[in-house]
Amino acid sequence: MKDELLKKLSACVEFGKTNKAALYPPQMKGEDGADEITSQLLDEGVGAQEILTGGLMPGMEKVGIKFRENKIFVPQVLMSAKAMGMSMVHLKPFFISGAAKQKGTFIIGTVQGDLHDIGKNLVAMMVEGSGYKVIDLGTDCLAEKYIAAIKENPGAAVGLSALLTTTMVNMEQITKDIKAVFPETLVTIGGAPVNDDFCLKIGADNYSADPQGVVDFLNTKIA
Amino acid sequence: MKVEFTYQFEELAIDMDRLRKGLGYSEEPIPELFIDYLKKVKEDCRELTDICGAFRICEELQFADNKRSFFADGAEFKVGRTIAQKLRKADKMAFFVCTAGKTISEKASSLLKGEDPVFGYVYDIMGSAIAEAVADEVQHHIEQQMLPLGAKITNRYSPGYCHWNVSDQHKLFSLFDENPCGVSLTESALMNPVKSVSGVIGIGQDVEFQDYQCSLCAMKDCVYRSDE
Repeated sequence: MKDELLKKLSACVEFGKTNKAALYPPQMKGEDGADEITSQLLDEGVGAQEILTGGLMPGMEKVGIKFRENKIFVPQVLMSAKAMGMSMVHLKPFFISGAAKQKGTFIIGTVQGDLHDIGKNLVAMMVEGSGYKVIDLGTDCLAEKYIAAIKENPGAAVGLSALLTTTMVNMEQITKDIKAVFPETLVTIGGAPVNDDFCLKIGADNYSADPQGVVDFLNTKIA
Repeated sequence: MKVEFTYQFEELAIDMDRLRKGLGYSEEPIPELFIDYLKKVKEDCRELTDICGAFRICEELQFADNKRSFFADGAEFKVGRTIAQKLRKADKMAFFVCTAGKTISEKASSLLKGEDPVFGYVYDIMGSAIAEAVADEVQHHIEQQMLPLGAKITNRYSPGYCHWNVSDQHKLFSLFDENPCGVSLTESALMNPVKSVSGVIGIGQDVEFQDYQCSLCAMKDCVYRSDE
């Protein structure tokens, strides 16, 4: 029963089935969604930790890989994130109380001067679905904002996002400022104008072209 | 000469292919749920009252010897070799600013951050398509205006593309009165409302309009890129 429910929850995340009333995806119409299945799992006595690792994470990993391979697109990823969010509403109290543990903390924000946030949001959703606590600082973030968040969350990794050539340059100063206070903090960067060479030049620890790349980096370095 | 127009959503030829590509479904069928979202967004767009396009034609023009920039009304536009080459036979330049408006930009942003990110994303993509459709209208208007004078137009080129540094937006905006069509610039050259486009179109008897332009651009991962 438990394994069957975890498998179903994984499928809900993979295909973006939020709850029973949701008409999407058509092939799961009328079936329970992430909302109901998470409740059932908790009622069965399955721990939040196991629901995260056995249900949500395998589902979100498939989403990340399919997105990377252009088999699904942004709207479907957002539906998956919505399904995951439905489940997380049930699980968050357990993470807050410490009854269940996430893999680590990831602080993310769009850098100073830039207001674009779709890419940043996709990364945040995917990382959260992969078992991390995510602190989203929003857009137009100064170095001080990242540093304050790291102070509150020792050991957290940081993600910097930028879409413009005029704002990617701010990544360099922000990375330097972060490393000056917290030399051990891992900084990963992403966004249309940046690449591996730029990452190396500014002293960041990682560049990922897609959200799953960030998850893979965090899994290698933190988890 | 400066001209500013407002548009109704119904007047615009929204590029459905662009919408499909923006959503990601350039070849695959769009899932039914997202088609419903699109229908709803289109319906809502009929209420928009802040869709606008503005242009200004500059006749005082000089190309730099470096073949990478030109001067218009005293401002140097460092467009890069690719765009400079496309514009070099122009004897006038039309600079434009077009926007889908504050309403749709804010609606998209608010939905993306909150209650329905999927719906917000569809609004976001529609906002981009509207801004481009306004630019199409402005381009067409300029073309029609130049025809009787025996002049043709080039394709339109925007800061941030084809190696043209986006920071030149500040010079482009300086050619207009403050906030053309209600569009302002941040220090980092980001347009606000975000669903806006700006750029330049060359005008002259010997310039050429080319159907296919993606090969000029370095943005290999652009969602709108055509592989022709």
